[in-house]
Amino acid sequence: MTIKSIHGCIGCGECVKSCPCDVLRLDPGNGKAVIAYPADCQICHLCRMYCPVDAIEMAPEKSIPVILAWG
Amino acid sequence: MNQRDPFHQPSRRTFLGLAGAATGLAAAGMGAGWATNRPGIDAAAIVGTAHETDVLVIGGGMAGLFAAVKAHDAGARVLMVSKGRLGASGMTPFAKGFFVFDPETESGSIDDFVDSVSRSALGTNNPVFTRQLAEHALERARELRDWGFFDQTLSHRPFLKPIAARAIARLERVMITHLIREEGRIAGAAGFGLDGAGEVITLRARAVVLCTGAGGFKPNGFPVCDLTHDGTVMAYRIGAWVTGKEWNDGHVTRSTNPAACFDAWGDMFERVPGTNGVEIHHDLGVDMNYAAYRTGNPLAGGPPGSIDTAGVSGGPVTPEEFRRRPGRPGDEGGPPERGGMDRRPPPPGGKGGGPGPMQGGQMGGASAGMAIHKSEGLVPVDDRGASTVPGLYAAGDALGSHMAGGIYTQIGSSLAGSAVQGAIAGEAAAEYARGVDLAEVPSGRLDAIRAEMLAPLTRKEGYGPAWVTQTLQGVMIPNFVLYIKKESLMRAALAYVQELRDHHVPMLRAGDLHELRLAHETANMIVSAEMKLRASLMRTESRCSHYRLDYPDQDDENWRAWITIHRGEDGQMTLAKQPFDAWPSLG
Amino acid sequence: MKRDPKALVLLAAITLFAVLPLAFYVAADVPRRSSLKEGLSILTVLALVAVVAQFFLARSLPVLMHLFKAPAVQRVHKVVGYCAIALLAVHPCLIVLPRYLEAGVRPLDALVTLLTQFESLGVVLGLAAWASMVLLVATAYGRMRLIRRRGLRYRSWRSLHGGLAVGFVVVGLWHAIELGRHTGLLLGGFLLVLAAVGLALLLRLYLLDRPRQSRGVPGVPS
Repeated sequence: MTIKSIHGCIGCGECVKSCPCDVLRLDPGNGKAVIAYPADCQICHLCRMYCPVDAIEMAPEKSIPVILAWG
Repeated sequence: MNQRDPFHQPSRRTFLGLAGAATGLAAAGMGAGWATNRPGIDAAAIVGTAHETDVLVIGGGMAGLFAAVKAHDAGARVLMVSKGRLGASGMTPFAKGFFVFDPETESGSIDDFVDSVSRSALGTNNPVFTRQLAEHALERARELRDWGFFDQTLSHRPFLKPIAARAIARLERVMITHLIREEGRIAGAAGFGLDGAGEVITLRARAVVLCTGAGGFKPNGFPVCDLTHDGTVMAYRIGAWVTGKEWNDGHVTRSTNPAACFDAWGDMFERVPGTNGVEIHHDLGVDMNYAAYRTGNPLAGGPPGSIDTAGVSGGPVTPEEFRRRPGRPGDEGGPPERGGMDRRPPPPGGKGGGPGPMQGGQMGGASAGMAIHKSEGLVPVDDRGASTVPGLYAAGDALGSHMAGGIYTQIGSSLAGSAVQGAIAGEAAAEYARGVDLAEVPSGRLDAIRAEMLAPLTRKEGYGPAWVTQTLQGVMIPNFVLYIKKESLMRAALAYVQELRDHHVPMLRAGDLHELRLAHETANMIVSAEMKLRASLMRTESRCSHYRLDYPDQDDENWRAWITIHRGEDGQMTLAKQPFDAWPSLG
Repeated sequence: MKRDPKALVLLAAITLFAVLPLAFYVAADVPRRSSLKEGLSILTVLALVAVVAQFFLARSLPVLMHLFKAPAVQRVHKVVGYCAIALLAVHPCLIVLPRYLEAGVRPLDALVTLLTQFESLGVVLGLAAWASMVLLVATAYGRMRLIRRRGLRYRSWRSLHGGLAVGFVVVGLWHAIELGRHTGLLLGGFLLVLAAVGLALLLRLYLLDRPRQSRGVPGVPS
């Protein structure tokens, strides 16, 4: 899930620029942010915190299997 | 499907089948392995642009900020380039503690501080950089305060203040893939823009300051996934020496939703940064890996919170002087509150605004692939961040200054050290740039760089970078490889990593600019993995955050030395010892 | 038991302009947030609905004019209008307000960012709607002076007010549907239907009102 949803996006691109992992992109069609590469989200919430209209909802689940030092 | 037969031309049916399977995997969130490449952009049509500057600063975190500001103030034309955005990428956004040595409030002297760090670091720190930190941090904190850094959670605007005031040029969302060396010295860098139809960017510079941070294996539970040792590996490729690769950061994460680093750190990421004074520890982290290794998963059914390492015999040793005693007054609330990403989450029940206790069990490997802050990176040849390549400087986590040593010692020194070293390297680079002209770069060299850079986009088929990264993670992250080290398994892992290096890296594919970034990051992580394994194999002792099951004791007779890594004349990774307290001998 | 027709109308109004929008708000597939944020969102949505509801309070609904006295309807129109518009006027601030209480971009920085997105259709529509709203309020507030000084007849004033209101609502609704967090299919569709019915009522009023016009103009023989 990572970034769960975006509602009320104004297309300012703050989230795209502030995402360390390049997860978000602006849709060339409507200019709004889309979750383009969810597998690369590190769930750090920077996008949510930079969003001026609080449009981004986060979820703590990673969308791909997680490899850890022990299971 | 992941087998490749170079002589087999797929029929249309198998071709479609491969593509379909790849799509299916991608949809399931698994990086597809071998598949047909369907580039969404035309590599041949990507435009090229060129820039020139005196000092090129690569990276937009704490070190990059000060390198740019101080190089500018020293009279240089400065250009900043960053894979992300100023103040919003790398580790900087998540570090909330900034160490200052304030003589007004400290009871001891700077000498005492340096001695104490050296004792905790068991000699692995370079006292020149430890002292430099203490001498300069207060002044850097004062500047940051003026820019508003200590007034808000997010760093972008405070960082932008001095950069905008000086009209320092910035290129953002540009991944640098190559450092360019000509005439025996630095000549610039090259990379590509992540947006639109792409852009190949050539940056000629008199001097370059690498502020690219360190990195990991895109691990889960630590905000380091955009850092893949890009700077170190690029510099290694042009002849720079690298150090500190055997050390291990031992952060853990929660067992529930382990990848959610925001959640695992309580409200840490939402805090406003602050300063703190002297507080020296010997925070291993890897002691928990050892407890997990010895007792199996120690968490099942256990109480929520930290791993009890007390009852486990053997393993990594914390010097008596720096041992944290459970329940010791002062353990709660204070340092963890300000420590930022400097240390592992505190024991459960931390009060006073420290990160909340982790619910449920803890999992290792959150920061896998990362060494100790300031310990890994380019080998410094002086106290100003100069590397073995003339004109190439590094600062912060990209510089193997061993400021804190092979163990994290001073709380808050990570962020402060980046500021201090960035400022010094920026000034040094500006000074160097005054004395040299731009090195000429033959156009044939630039063409070759472009071809290399865009190669994954042009491959008809290849390995998906996400899949290769996951394979690398599967080899490198398990507890018994780089945390609890022993020769047999490291040799096995090295064989695996070499296979990825030789057989997968040359066949990485990229369908768009994001994947192109991943492809280069994956290649860099593989080089770093090889460095980590080789250095860990070479260090036949245990010290600080490096723990060998087959060499569990500290060996002062043979190992009062750091390990340097460079590319030998034969192109092979070459390792050597550099005695503690000595600058490298380049002969 | 016989129901008071006035009460029935009130009940219908509450259902149409409060209960239904709230139901659509709840039904929307949008994550729930803190009660402060939800409260502010609900207020904004209700204000938007109230603005559209103004079309029904413009002497346009015969049943209303039968049951209530014209000045009473007018008073409600005025109070509801001013309140709703006051809220909509500051709603960009309400969006950034909760940031005072949480980490992240600072409220003022966020406000500047969101108000300067001149490449965003939704933001530009919002700014246009805001400007037309100011004009609407200014002319409404100063209508007496306007009528006196400019020698405007009531009917012309009414056309001016109606025209501005229609323009404002069209642009405002477009803005809300383009950008709104909760104006999805349900609430957005509902608002459009409501606005269409309101507009139709208004048009009918303006068109059917002609006989009175010819009768009412003094000095013209019928």
